Amino acid sequence: MENISRRFGSIVAVEDVTLAIYAGEVTALLGDNGAGKSTLIKILTGVYPPTTGRIYFKGKPVQITSPRMARDLGIETVYQDLALVPLMSVARNFFLGREPVKSIGPFRFLDLKTMQERTAAALRDIGIEKFSGGRSVNEPVGKLSGGERQSVAIGRAVHFGASVLILDEPTSALSVAETEKVLHYTRQAKERGLAVIFISHNMSHVMRVADRYIVMRHGRQVADYRKGELTEQDLADLVTGERER
Amino acid sequence: MSVSASSRPTVSWQRRLYERMGVGFAAVNLVLLLAFFGLLAPHFLTPLALSNILTFASLTGLVVVGVALLMIAGEFDLSVGSNLAVGGFGFAVLLNAGVPALPAFLLALLFCALLGLINGAVVVFTGIPSFIATLGTMLAYRGIARILGGGDFAKYTGPQPVLFNVLNGPLTPLNDLFNTPANFRSVILWFLVLAVVGTVMLHRTRFGNWIFATGGHVEAARAQGVPVRTVKLICFTLTGLLAGLAGVTQFAAGASIDPLRGEGLELIAVVSCVIGGVLLTGGAGSVMGAVVGILLLQTLEQGLILMGISVQVFRAIVGFILVLSVILTTAIGRRE
Repeated sequence: MENISRRFGSIVAVEDVTLAIYAGEVTALLGDNGAGKSTLIKILTGVYPPTTGRIYFKGKPVQITSPRMARDLGIETVYQDLALVPLMSVARNFFLGREPVKSIGPFRFLDLKTMQERTAAALRDIGIEKFSGGRSVNEPVGKLSGGERQSVAIGRAVHFGASVLILDEPTSALSVAETEKVLHYTRQAKERGLAVIFISHNMSHVMRVADRYIVMRHGRQVADYRKGELTEQDLADLVTGERER
Repeated sequence: MSVSASSRPTVSWQRRLYERMGVGFAAVNLVLLLAFFGLLAPHFLTPLALSNILTFASLTGLVVVGVALLMIAGEFDLSVGSNLAVGGFGFAVLLNAGVPALPAFLLALLFCALLGLINGAVVVFTGIPSFIATLGTMLAYRGIARILGGGDFAKYTGPQPVLFNVLNGPLTPLNDLFNTPANFRSVILWFLVLAVVGTVMLHRTRFGNWIFATGGHVEAARAQGVPVRTVKLICFTLTGLLAGLAGVTQFAAGASIDPLRGEGLELIAVVSCVIGGVLLTGGAGSVMGAVVGILLLQTLEQGLILMGISVQVFRAIVGFILVLSVILTTAIGRRE
């Protein structure tokens, strides 16, 4: 993303941000509430067009005009509560919007067997063992814990060939054990060569999973450091503005 | 959201119970109700009374199937009763103008589908809650029905078209099986076909999956590329079409329709769905549940009539069932 700015009326939400996200890395995006992180992400995912600036994807300039288009490019976002439909089964959620079908005469029916098998296999593949039994992919997502849901959403993005995975506060409101799982799957996504953007308030989670730290404050990018260059305290100071850059 | 609450499932056991029980619960109630009236209502366990239940449940059921799909997609249509009247009157006007039965039938359905589409367009493009939007169109469409009928009954006295018998003719071979009168009509078969097609579509097609997703969590559905607006528009249109079909079919039974036809149908349809396990807030339910729901209500009505109890009592009971289910749904929602 190059020289990205976004104004809402007279309010400048994001100002002149230039950053590159690389495959096989977890890039943490930090900042206090209102620092501009979510606006920046919404620009990347086609929710808002940038007021000025350009986006390059795999070296080519692109104009991302809708969330659908972002997804077609391979930019998947896992929002905290917006990823899955609680009343629907894991398998139906997994394939939502790209359900496999079988044709019988002129009609096309859901291939439920394939949906169940592929969901179980994909989740087993990224190490979510709970679903290896085959039965539980038919359980409603509402029965899963928050961490399991995040894991399913991450697994789905990985399975369908995302190249950029955006995780929006994936560990907020999770228990310690649940957080461990989510951090584990985040690393797995990275090892599969995805570019992961990890948005979080939690410094210690960020320290443990990220390879790079980008800090935003008042709509500007104020820091871009690599793993090992900062302590957790440095990072917190950058977010609050205690430390300038 | 607190830390401890989030790792717990957000679908409460009450909701799961409510859904599980849906169809089964309604079916058990139906059996109990049949037994109750069988014992207490004179002439209840006769071919005539039972066939009447099936025939009248099927007439209303055509609408209930549409309303069930729409409710699962997260929307209401209160205009179905008025739309039914538009269908009946529109069909009558066309027949009396000399249009042959089949084109008249198709034109009436097309018009009702269009009215359904208008409901959907208002809801989808303005964001007005469907409850309010279709309350408005309920009045508007009733007005259209009255204009078509000149504020009076509509009749058709010409030679009876074959279509009348196809839609709602007596199933004579079946009726003749009994040595007392019976009123099995072909609408029962159409209703059965519709219920089966609706069930298969809902549970075994991509579109059905999208209906559940749209009603269950519209943002999540949209984020996965489900065309949620189109899903809603199609469900509204289908509901309008089926309301029209019910109107035409009712007209085919007696070749007449009155200006009040279909009034209160919206209530019957919503309550049928709810007692059959369709969630008022959308995202869960089944067509078969709604089918059992309408059978239950029709049994109740028929039983009360045979016991000599006023039809108004039936309306009151249905109203109370709706209020109770709203209380239940709200209580479950609050716990989550």
